[in-house]
Amino acid sequence: MASIARKQIVPNQGATVREQLRAMDDSAVVTAFLGGEERAFSELVERYQTRLLNFVYRTIGDREKAEDLVQEVFIRVYRHLHRFDRSKKFSTWAYTIASNLAKNELRNRSRNPLVLFQTVQKNWQDDDRPLQFEDSTSRPDDMYRKRHLREIVEESVAKLPEHHRNVFILRELEGKSYEEIAEITDCNLGTVKSRLNRARNSFAEIVAPYME
Amino acid sequence: MEGAGTSFHHMGTGNRTLNNPQMDCREFRDKHLSYVDDTLPGVELVGMQLHLTECVSCARQDATVRRSLMLIRSLQRIEPSPGFSERLEHKLREAKALDAAPKSSARPRGFAVAVAATSIVMLGYIAVSLRQVDTPRDIMLPPVVATLPESVAAPMTSPAPAMVASVPAGLPIWTAALFAEQVPIHFASADLTLVKSNR
Repeated sequence: MASIARKQIVPNQGATVREQLRAMDDSAVVTAFLGGEERAFSELVERYQTRLLNFVYRTIGDREKAEDLVQEVFIRVYRHLHRFDRSKKFSTWAYTIASNLAKNELRNRSRNPLVLFQTVQKNWQDDDRPLQFEDSTSRPDDMYRKRHLREIVEESVAKLPEHHRNVFILRELEGKSYEEIAEITDCNLGTVKSRLNRARNSFAEIVAPYME
Repeated sequence: MEGAGTSFHHMGTGNRTLNNPQMDCREFRDKHLSYVDDTLPGVELVGMQLHLTECVSCARQDATVRRSLMLIRSLQRIEPSPGFSERLEHKLREAKALDAAPKSSARPRGFAVAVAATSIVMLGYIAVSLRQVDTPRDIMLPPVVATLPESVAAPMTSPAPAMVASVPAGLPIWTAALFAEQVPIHFASADLTLVKSNR
């Protein structure tokens, strides 16, 4: 604890604490937080909220629930950061928590058909929402085509088996290395490669007809 | 090589091309993950590229996989909703309060006194027990009661009564018992019966 305290941020030369935190790597931010700098936690939230939200959202397919789960991730991080093995990467640890929560959510859903129905219903309502991601300067037919393609891609990801989808998202959307994925999913490297290869081929097979 | 399908699943598994005898479709398929991620050693990379120039099916599948990956990587990322940070802060405050609760809530003083008293009593009891174990004591044996052995019953030497032998084996035992009660009892040994019949 003494070594942590020594690494506390000393504001200097006009740079605000937030700016200093922003310049640090994850490990240093974690150390600052454990040394009593509460603002360091906000920095971690800032860095990971979007990444974790996208990961969980692509895994479970429900945006609202994904936000709840990401909040749960941060609460767990806050509570247990003192137990985090700082010889490892913080991001891997955060993704592991998120992956486990997403897995539990999918398991609960498969056990409770009502929850599954509510999720499907929510997705129907999502279809009625105005377009959010398309460039408003595009022509309407282009916008329609893009939206249609995006939906197809999202549906195709959702069609992958759960353990393939998890590995696929971590690699293709989150850019994780095989080793990190192995740690996050608690699998060996061979399993990760095999699942990723299968997921890529399955995904290509599903979307191929729409790409021609 | 002309493959029938576009997927690796439908491709041949053992076809080697004429100019590239080192690589077949199965090997290409096994190394495709590393090939797409550009992590293959130079020699294998050249082998893969050579296979692609000669195998239409693998080339088509390679192109499909690459295009589909471009598609998924171009998916726009979603952003947290506007209230996300506020909700998180609220939850964190709750978590902090929950964590701090057991530390700050002082238990009644009487409870602490009772715990201390119980501990002292327990310690005293343990100390007395240990002392008793340490002191040597006279060995006390239970009183001995001497008994005569019971006389062993002589084994039955006479053969079984003939009536018992005549009960049919298929009858239930209680029926057999009733039947036996009604029948006039002749305690005759098998030897006597034999004597009668001989007469």
